[in-house]
Amino acid sequence: MDSPQIRAWLSASDAMRHRGDWHGAIEMLRRVLSEDPDHARAHASMALALLGARRIHAAELEARTGLALDGNDGFCHLAAAAVLRAHRRLDEAWQHCLVAVESDGADGDVFVLAAAIQQLRGELDEARELLGRALELDAADPDALAELARLELGLGKLDAAAERVGEALAADPGHRDAHRVAGWIALRRGDVADAEGHARFVLREDPADRDNLALWAAIKARRSWLLGVWWRWNAWATLRSDHGQVAILIGSYVVARLAMILAAAVGADRLEEALSWLWLGFCAYTWIAPILLRRMLARDLEKVELDEDF
Amino acid sequence: MKDYAIPDEPRPGRLGHLVVRPSAPLLALMLCGAWVAWPWYIFNAIALGSPTRRREIALSVGAVAGTAVLGVVVIALVDAGVIESTTAIRLALLAIATWKIGMAYAISTLQARTFHVYEYYGGRVRNPNLVLIGGFILRGAVIGLFDSTLWRIIVAGYLAKGGL
Repeated sequence: MDSPQIRAWLSASDAMRHRGDWHGAIEMLRRVLSEDPDHARAHASMALALLGARRIHAAELEARTGLALDGNDGFCHLAAAAVLRAHRRLDEAWQHCLVAVESDGADGDVFVLAAAIQQLRGELDEARELLGRALELDAADPDALAELARLELGLGKLDAAAERVGEALAADPGHRDAHRVAGWIALRRGDVADAEGHARFVLREDPADRDNLALWAAIKARRSWLLGVWWRWNAWATLRSDHGQVAILIGSYVVARLAMILAAAVGADRLEEALSWLWLGFCAYTWIAPILLRRMLARDLEKVELDEDF
Repeated sequence: MKDYAIPDEPRPGRLGHLVVRPSAPLLALMLCGAWVAWPWYIFNAIALGSPTRRREIALSVGAVAGTAVLGVVVIALVDAGVIESTTAIRLALLAIATWKIGMAYAISTLQARTFHVYEYYGGRVRNPNLVLIGGFILRGAVIGLFDSTLWRIIVAGYLAKGGL
């Protein structure tokens, strides 16, 4: 049985986590775990807060600790599923989600996460069904509505997606995920200005979030082909795990060097030299492009004030 | 009551003011050579107080040992006449360069996890330019320190012609 103090800290950390104050939640949970290092739910909650703060490796360790301490707790399985989803280990994530879905305390968060995982696994009908279950619990659940809008967007049903995202934003005008989806819908409809409004909103909330940056970069790519090239490369490379990214970088290096060696072997010295310069240019470009993007982003966000509507 | 330590949190010691971004040793591998990169990774792991420092040090030592083993094999194959043509030698050297870059990226990725937390909590980050410029200037002298192909293979970087 938790002491009143621990219950208060846990409750405060939950509130902080739900409003996106990841670091506040982490510090609150640190207090709980300093008092009771074997508190399974605190470890699971810590995993979710660390995940929000993009410390996914520490999140994985915390989720594992939570599960080791209480392998029957649905919330511990929910945290494990969320972490594994971030690692793109979708089959394992789904196994944990199944346990969380079938546990007694399954709430809307569990169904929305399960739907998001199934959507990534390509099980769209099942994802829709899970979102339906979340909406049965709360018809105005903005998380479920935003996820449903993403599902419709993926299917190319822009009107349905816009309707769902409108409902999500009516339920919670500051819902980040709904704004992100709304931005993508606007971009698909060619309304770059509207997309930019949504992107600005989420970037002001969290300028380092990868999904927010992906939306912003896509908007920028509509206006500059050079940044478009970088964005497509970066999106392709960064959606993978750390190991996947390293493999891509090394693979690019090996392919470039092999091309140079083969060019030299057939006596095409000028081609070898051109390839060598091209490779160096590519290295320099990929090195500075993210820095340039971040600086541009900071400058743009400082320059323009948001409309009251956002 | 002792504060709970989250698994990725650094514990910087007296050398904490000398921490650099993990991309700095990676850049050193390209510009200066492996003789700067591997010791710098080890130093940075210790200065940062990285919870994965033992793994980072083991990977750095393994990178040197692996390069030496690959170098010995390539030299033996060249001496035995198995590898003769310039293209074959360049391909063999490419394998060694790929090993180096792979290990460097692996250590950078591992160290970056702790570094980001260190930086978030306001840890001081040193500008690496002085070491990079010094290493670049001294590169030729260090690589030419011994008249040995194996030495050159071990201490060189991978941006120079031939991949090493």
